[in-house]
Amino acid sequence: MWTIAKLTWREILSKRIFHITLFMSFAFLLFYAIATYIAAQEATEQTGGQAVSSDFFLAQTFFATQILGVGLYFAAFVTALLAILSSVGSIAGEIESHQIDTLLARPLHRRTIVLGKFAGLGSLLILYSICLFLGVLAINQWLGGEILRFEMSALQVIKALAVFVLPPLLLIAVALLFSSITTTINGGIILIILYGISFIGGFVEQMGVLMNKTSMINIGIISSLLFPLDSLFRKMTVYLFDTAGDPISFATQGLFGSLSTPSNAMLVYAALYGITALWLSIRRFSSRDV
Amino acid sequence: MSDYVIETHQLTKQYDGKAGCRNITLSVPKGVVFGFLGPNGAGKSTFVRTLLGLLVPTGGSGHILGQPIGSVESRQKIGYLPELFRYPDWLTGQQLLESHADLCKIPRSERKKRIASLLERVGLSGRGNEKIRGYSKGMQQRIGLACALLSDPEIIFLDEPTSALDPIGRREVRELMAELRDEGKTIFLNSHLLSEVETICDHIAIIHRSDLIVQGEWRSLSSVNPQTEITTSSVPDGLWKSLSTIVTEAELLQQEEGKTHWLITLNEEDDIAILVRHLSDLGISLYRIVPRIPRLEDVFMYWVNREEAQQSHVDHR
Repeated sequence: MWTIAKLTWREILSKRIFHITLFMSFAFLLFYAIATYIAAQEATEQTGGQAVSSDFFLAQTFFATQILGVGLYFAAFVTALLAILSSVGSIAGEIESHQIDTLLARPLHRRTIVLGKFAGLGSLLILYSICLFLGVLAINQWLGGEILRFEMSALQVIKALAVFVLPPLLLIAVALLFSSITTTINGGIILIILYGISFIGGFVEQMGVLMNKTSMINIGIISSLLFPLDSLFRKMTVYLFDTAGDPISFATQGLFGSLSTPSNAMLVYAALYGITALWLSIRRFSSRDV
Repeated sequence: MSDYVIETHQLTKQYDGKAGCRNITLSVPKGVVFGFLGPNGAGKSTFVRTLLGLLVPTGGSGHILGQPIGSVESRQKIGYLPELFRYPDWLTGQQLLESHADLCKIPRSERKKRIASLLERVGLSGRGNEKIRGYSKGMQQRIGLACALLSDPEIIFLDEPTSALDPIGRREVRELMAELRDEGKTIFLNSHLLSEVETICDHIAIIHRSDLIVQGEWRSLSSVNPQTEITTSSVPDGLWKSLSTIVTEAELLQQEEGKTHWLITLNEEDDIAILVRHLSDLGISLYRIVPRIPRLEDVFMYWVNREEAQQSHVDHR
């Protein structure tokens, strides 16, 4: 399995899409850093650098969560795209090119190939998402100044990070399933649509809570069950922005907050979803012609 | 243990009841070069891919070294060079072989030496550190051959192994196959290039339109109706018809200055003597007689035509 994982690492690291994503990620972090710095400077100038009232404190925390939220949202988006693009063709592409033939002629179980690819892609994407997550957080902490820097504990960061790395793993498991069933293009299209449904459903649900519309909330719940990606992001914001002793939940505020907080059961559901996808992928790949 | 390293019984792989290979019952002895022949699209590659577990059979069964096909155990001691060879082009030749050495669990202490020796054996000495994407088609086929031999397998499946090679490369691969046979390996050679198979194979099997037509030792299969070229004086009309008990076919090859050159197909090899006696009795001068050694192409066409004739007979009934 580790040989396949190693080969998968080598393959991704040699791909142009990875180099471009890496370059664009640096560009994003640079842009985000400049934007955060300028916003922090202007906010400090407006307030004169002094906390004057409890209203000011609420507004400051709200803006801090929003600017941090947008950074993390984009980081999650880029990570998801990289997960989809790097994994949806990892089996189908090799079947189409017959590159997999010589591997399968070795004394290996086919599950070794699937699990090896999952391990390789998963470890690389975890590393990438950790770097991006910590990069966004570091920018917020160092360049956010008095106004935009969000106060958080190490435990909050660890819990949020643990959830932040789950979406790419879920995407890889589902991508491997489609890669075992259909062609690279078909799998890619289905996965991107699922991804879109999940995030649009998530927004519809948030608006449904705001407008108190049950039907909109239900759409969100259905989309979360269909593909629980957005719920994981919302859960991550809850872990990051909610402080145990704070009576006001900033995790519920704004565009990147979570008015309808996903339950812990949704975390379990997402994990089971990924494991089932991986198991189905192994089953399908083990019994198909290549 | 069986004397055969590969055995199949009615092995079938079809796509919606069409194409592929059908009811192939085959036995491959140990230590031979076994030529699996057939025209393009006959089902050769499908059969090999089914043996290797790349395709799931739709019927029948098969064993490699006593292990059921498709099992991990059946692939323990085999090497495979696919027809559509494609290797990760971001790796160097050396890295590719190292990865496969990992998969074959070759001890680290042996790896370096074995890889160096294989690269030399396939003619890629000094090119191992180049990326595969920079290799020519022929070089890619050579690295594929090295990959197939890496685990020191007992059976080596070579599917059209010289398709990308120049004449020198083809000869080298033929010599390599002969060496491997001398080392006691069994080579299952899939090819539609009859001239390639002819010079190296001990046993052959012929597949045509998904069906196995014939299999056996090349020597016994090549004893099809013997042919001989003869040069005589002019022969009367209807001569060959009157000799139909011994002559099945007579083809006029050339006619010049009162001499005629014929290609005569006889029923049996012993009929040559009878033919000579008859011609002598009829006062026909015999200037030259050269028995024709059957070539694989003749043998192949003989069996294919025979199969088609039988099929046509069945269809008409």
